[in-house]
Amino acid sequence: MGLFSGTLLSNNKEILYTFPIILLVLPSLNSLIGDISTVLISRLTSHLYLGTLSPKIQVSDRLKQDLYGLLMTILLSLVALISLGYLLGSATGIQIVNPLLIISIIIITILILFGLMFVLLFISSIFIFKKGKDPNNFLIPMVTSLADFLTPLFIIVLIQIFI
Amino acid sequence: MEARDTKGKIVKETFPSEMVSIVGDIFAGIVLSILIVSFESFLILILIIPALLSLRGNLSGPFIARTSRDLIIGEFNLKSWFENILATYVLALITAIAIGILSIILNLLLIRLFIFHIGLLIVIPIISILLTLTVSIPCSTALNLFAFKRGLDPNNIVNPIMTAVDDFLTVLSFYLTIILLGVP
Repeated sequence: MGLFSGTLLSNNKEILYTFPIILLVLPSLNSLIGDISTVLISRLTSHLYLGTLSPKIQVSDRLKQDLYGLLMTILLSLVALISLGYLLGSATGIQIVNPLLIISIIIITILILFGLMFVLLFISSIFIFKKGKDPNNFLIPMVTSLADFLTPLFIIVLIQIFI
Repeated sequence: MEARDTKGKIVKETFPSEMVSIVGDIFAGIVLSILIVSFESFLILILIIPALLSLRGNLSGPFIARTSRDLIIGEFNLKSWFENILATYVLALITAIAIGILSIILNLLLIRLFIFHIGLLIVIPIISILLTLTVSIPCSTALNLFAFKRGLDPNNIVNPIMTAVDDFLTVLSFYLTIILLGVP
């Protein structure tokens, strides 16, 4: 999966050379969505084992608390990431072309990925748990690689759509 | 207790570790966008970097978790630590070779850029990941011991900090490796 992500970046060299700031923030974006997804999986697994989340695909108060908590964390982290990236990018002389558009693309990418991951991981956790297996063991190794591939993919697709 | 966590508590506990992770990864991004982008062979090099970053997570994470577990259950000793290190290095070596072989195939099929000897695509991931682990293993062990001796749960402290440190170390080791090997 990591190599597919690398191939995707390599095949879109014009974007990387035009928007070098993307390279600066890419490791943090990958790490952010990977970390939040990992926290979500381990929380869902604990809830399922403790019985505080019913193994059914339905909206519950517990699920809403996790959704809002993690959404607030990801939004706060995005503000920190964008501010820090902008400051360090400016300080190190990295060209920041069309900053408003790039910031919008980063925010849209992370929010779409968070929504997708939340639904996918919730349904998968219920399914795996019902099969009598531990969702942690199956989903955590998969989700990091998936995030590493999907983050640059969404950024590149959105840049191509808007520019 | 996780079952009673409110959204505020989730933010309070998760955000600080996320900040540490973001800072470390921004520094990795700086090395990537300033130092590595200027290489003539950047288009081949960028092929390997995401795979190396994923590999680092898959090796360092379990190493840290095993060390924490041994400390918590009272079975941490030199023998178990060396066995853990050996397993991590062997796995790193095998996976780095696999990354090298797959990048050669992807280069032949898709990128078709032949600026340096193709065999270097196997040597670069091997040296980079071994260099990273050589610094990362003592750091994470010391951090594990420090957290444990202070009465903290190493599981909650060590991983987020080491994610940031390791991502930066991976990109830096990668940069040092390509300089050492004279990659254009």
